Amino acid sequence: MKKQLIIAALVLVVVGLVPLTSVSDYITGVLTMVCFYAVFAMSWDLLFGYAGEVNFGPSFLIGVGAYGAGLADADLGLPVAVCIAIGTLAAVLAGLLLAIPALRLRGPYFGLITLVAVLLLQDMIEIFADTTGGEIGLSVPDVLAVSAAVNFYYAFGLMVIAGAILLAVANSPFGLILQAAGQDPVEAQALGFNIVKFKVVAFAISAFFSGLAGAMLVFYLGTASVSAMVDVAVGIQVIIAAVLGGRRTIIGPVLGAAFLVGAGELLRPVGQMSGFIVAALALGVILLVPDGLLGALRGRLRA
Amino acid sequence: MLAVQILIDGFAISALYALGALGFTLIFGVSGVLNLAHGAILVTSAMVAWYVGTDSGGGAFTGAAAGVAAGVVTAFVTYGLVVRPIQRSKAIPGVERELFVLTGTLLWGVMIQILLADVFTTTPITVEQLVSGTIDIFGVRTAANEVFIAVVSWAVLGLLWLLVNRTPAGRRLLAASINPRALTLVGVELDHVHLLAWGIYGVIAGIAGVLLGSFLGTSSAYIPALTGTAFAIVVLGGLGSVSGTVIAAYVVGYLETLTAYLVSPSWRAVPALILLLAVLYFRPQGILGRR
Amino acid sequence: MSVTLDLSPSSEAPAPMAAVLEVRGLTKRYGGLVAAKNVSFDVRAGEILGLIGPNGSGKSTVMKLIMGIEKPNAGEVRLNGVNLAGKPAYKIARAGIGIVFQHSRPLHRQTVLQNILLGLLPDRLLAWRAGPEEIVRAKAIAERVGLGAVLDRLPATLPFADLRRMELAKAIARNPQVVLVDEPFAGLTGGEVKDFSDLIVSFRDEGRAVLLVDHNVKSVAAMVDRVLALYLGETIAEGSAAEVMCNETVRRVYLGGGISTHERPEAVFAHTEPVLQVENLSVFYGKAQALDSVNLFLHPGEFVSVVGLNGAGKTTLFNAISGLVPFAGKINWQGAPLAGKSAARIARDGLVQCPETRELFGEMTVAENIALGGQHLPKAERTTRRDWLFSLFPILEARAGQISRTLSGGEQQMLAIARALMMKPKLLILDEPTLGLAPVILGQLSDAMKLLRDQTDITILLGEQNVTFALPNADRVYVLEHARIVWEGSPSRFAKEMASGYL
Repeated sequence: MKKQLIIAALVLVVVGLVPLTSVSDYITGVLTMVCFYAVFAMSWDLLFGYAGEVNFGPSFLIGVGAYGAGLADADLGLPVAVCIAIGTLAAVLAGLLLAIPALRLRGPYFGLITLVAVLLLQDMIEIFADTTGGEIGLSVPDVLAVSAAVNFYYAFGLMVIAGAILLAVANSPFGLILQAAGQDPVEAQALGFNIVKFKVVAFAISAFFSGLAGAMLVFYLGTASVSAMVDVAVGIQVIIAAVLGGRRTIIGPVLGAAFLVGAGELLRPVGQMSGFIVAALALGVILLVPDGLLGALRGRLRA
Repeated sequence: MLAVQILIDGFAISALYALGALGFTLIFGVSGVLNLAHGAILVTSAMVAWYVGTDSGGGAFTGAAAGVAAGVVTAFVTYGLVVRPIQRSKAIPGVERELFVLTGTLLWGVMIQILLADVFTTTPITVEQLVSGTIDIFGVRTAANEVFIAVVSWAVLGLLWLLVNRTPAGRRLLAASINPRALTLVGVELDHVHLLAWGIYGVIAGIAGVLLGSFLGTSSAYIPALTGTAFAIVVLGGLGSVSGTVIAAYVVGYLETLTAYLVSPSWRAVPALILLLAVLYFRPQGILGRR
Repeated sequence: MSVTLDLSPSSEAPAPMAAVLEVRGLTKRYGGLVAAKNVSFDVRAGEILGLIGPNGSGKSTVMKLIMGIEKPNAGEVRLNGVNLAGKPAYKIARAGIGIVFQHSRPLHRQTVLQNILLGLLPDRLLAWRAGPEEIVRAKAIAERVGLGAVLDRLPATLPFADLRRMELAKAIARNPQVVLVDEPFAGLTGGEVKDFSDLIVSFRDEGRAVLLVDHNVKSVAAMVDRVLALYLGETIAEGSAAEVMCNETVRRVYLGGGISTHERPEAVFAHTEPVLQVENLSVFYGKAQALDSVNLFLHPGEFVSVVGLNGAGKTTLFNAISGLVPFAGKINWQGAPLAGKSAARIARDGLVQCPETRELFGEMTVAENIALGGQHLPKAERTTRRDWLFSLFPILEARAGQISRTLSGGEQQMLAIARALMMKPKLLILDEPTLGLAPVILGQLSDAMKLLRDQTDITILLGEQNVTFALPNADRVYVLEHARIVWEGSPSRFAKEMASGYL
């Protein structure tokens, strides 16, 4: 574990230094998106890999965070930092409102609620297009920064901090109890743990980072739009990144995000079929290498 | 008369929703799988029906037949390429198997969605109606196609009921949904039963997809909402209850129609989703589910 | 309420004090089946109460009700006077009750130390790091149960007995006042049984109240202070181990009265080729060896009983023969090897099993269940056969239209056998058909067995722990104990040599 952390730290340092070299803004931009998707995917992994709950609509949390921040800026003209805080808070509250009843139940209900929430949010945004900009999207007057490099460092910083916190949580007693709740709920309860409480908090943490990243994404892209933040397809990208990279590793989803965004760029000439190829790869991973890239690597190292 | 029109439209769309959701329930009952590629199968059937019938000039009936065939093929591929391998994979720990099947079918549905968008674009198209013209019902001029859809949907539901309750193969399907282990003990190969279930599912979904395509139009962009609606109807009715599914389909169908007429078409899907959330909070076992 | 205790067992057992756990009128219904009926008892600190009964008597249900894993329909469970019945399991665990489950439930991704540590952690969200004292305690508990050397191993690498030790460790991690132990000795070797007994006795000596569930009085007689006997969900006797073992009702229920034997002479079968031949059969469930080099054969038309207690391996043996579990070794059916055939194919070929759990189609009627058994037959034959079965089990004809889930236990068992017989079996395997049945039904079942033996040429393989039922119709008996065949012979010889061991 220690060795892996050292390698990860080294890679991070190298990547962190890239924008300071003479690479194009395009590359820096790609790396920035990787950071955002890494945060989305790590947050998703806390729920799936540890608590054993599939969130079919991570884009609900991302979308609420994004539109919350975007509306606060466009309509209320508040400072960027405050808008981001509002967006994050909105994501956590909205998420808890949905999750608390659903996590009490055993069965596919949590997954269904998350899927329904995304569809509902999408409908609402389109219905109230006057306020939200509907299909066109909502432009925000402010941005995080103008320079590509500075934008990158905001995202990079978020990713490192989020990663560190999620890693600490996953390896803490909280993480241990969460894993027990996910693997064997009856046993976890017989050992004295209120597993609903733990799952709800895990979801809140997931919602916090997803919402925060979504809110910051608005000020990077300059708009809040359904296609970039709410669409079911966005959520699926997040799931693909986490599954490809390796569930239950926290670091794995980062690799998955890098692969996802990188492959998407490389496959750009193929047009929208790039999404098909990436989804097919993820399906292949599920069928053949369910532990994902990092999981398979770790297994190889252990053997 | 608006009331009669709502009554008729609601009836037709509900019947269609019932047909669509029933396939979903069937597979859940027999195979234990919540197939998140459901919407993709519906839309694939519609797209092929349009391609063969309209785009290639094969005519409405040939198109419809091709569409249903496409539904069957897609269902079998879903089972053979995605669901069965995951169910049998030794690399996946038992407790996570269901999660992986769900995620696998989700990804597979996405793949189909992107493929259809690439081949057909996302512009909505309409499948050619098998029956044209209008019929007067209590003073309301109704498209004959609508009546046809309601009739066909209920005919298929009836045939399905007959199959399950009156044929040996159907009894085996029912038995498999009650106790698969017992079915093995009486000498029935479960593999054969699963294949039959997915085959029937393909036919039902194919018919539903083609009819939907002729009534509301179709596009790859509709796929997530269609899966969501089917899933919602099945949970609303109660997981595992067939009559619950039909009743729930009518609840959702009428809610949507009422909303579209009385509020606005863009609000169409919202009340049903909110109802579903409410049901999940207060009565998660649904209308007729057991708990 | 918390009891601060030295972890090492004291040398002198303190005298039992006031009742720590009071159970009153505990009742649980599953549909038409009453699993526990008005069960009441006390467990005092510093004593071991044995809860005994055959399968289906309600012992495990009572444990689950106390632990909160199931909610009772009626009754109270008082811990130090506070009623916990109906509360969620985690609250009951926190209140001071620990449970050792019958089947080990390790967390497969965590090490032994982490598994035990989990039992020590507070139900608090803000635990960023496990305190050093907690880790020290976890290690101490591991040492005590004998896992000190494997702290960093994953459960998949541990032998069966160590997994059971880990269950004991988890149960006492939170220093509970009451420890519930469910069938602790199943699957253990003689030496391991002794270690576990000592550990459980040490729990008692620390002042805990121990409720021990098992199906066999003999194996726990040395440990328990008092015994409560259950049958069909109700208490039938209470007292010291010796008193209960002598109790009339208990003896009748367990032994069912006398043993009679009616085997046909060996010569009848001596020159026939075995129709079923099992050679060197071994079955592993992960780490646990459920069957160890079992050899067994059946002649056509013979009635063979396999006698064995819970956990001996009977069900595994039958499942291997029916193609439901993978095995090592050879099984030949009618001269051809069974390996590679699907379970459904084996059933269609005439090797039919009526399992312990009966596996009825609960939501279907009696008639529908029987029809499914006969689906491979031509219609006319199906009707004839069904009529024959109705004459064998008239109650089924009377209840033909009833949903099978609502039938009584005895009727369900008859339906299961009837359905199996519809398949025209050449070999019929019956796994513990007397499970949870009232003595009156046993007589009817035994008569049906006699009829099958005398009037048909069906080969019958019967697995039973109820010796009174296993013997009267058998031609030969095998005894299965801890995954091995330990005895084979005629029923009369069994009655002379082995029967006394089976109360």
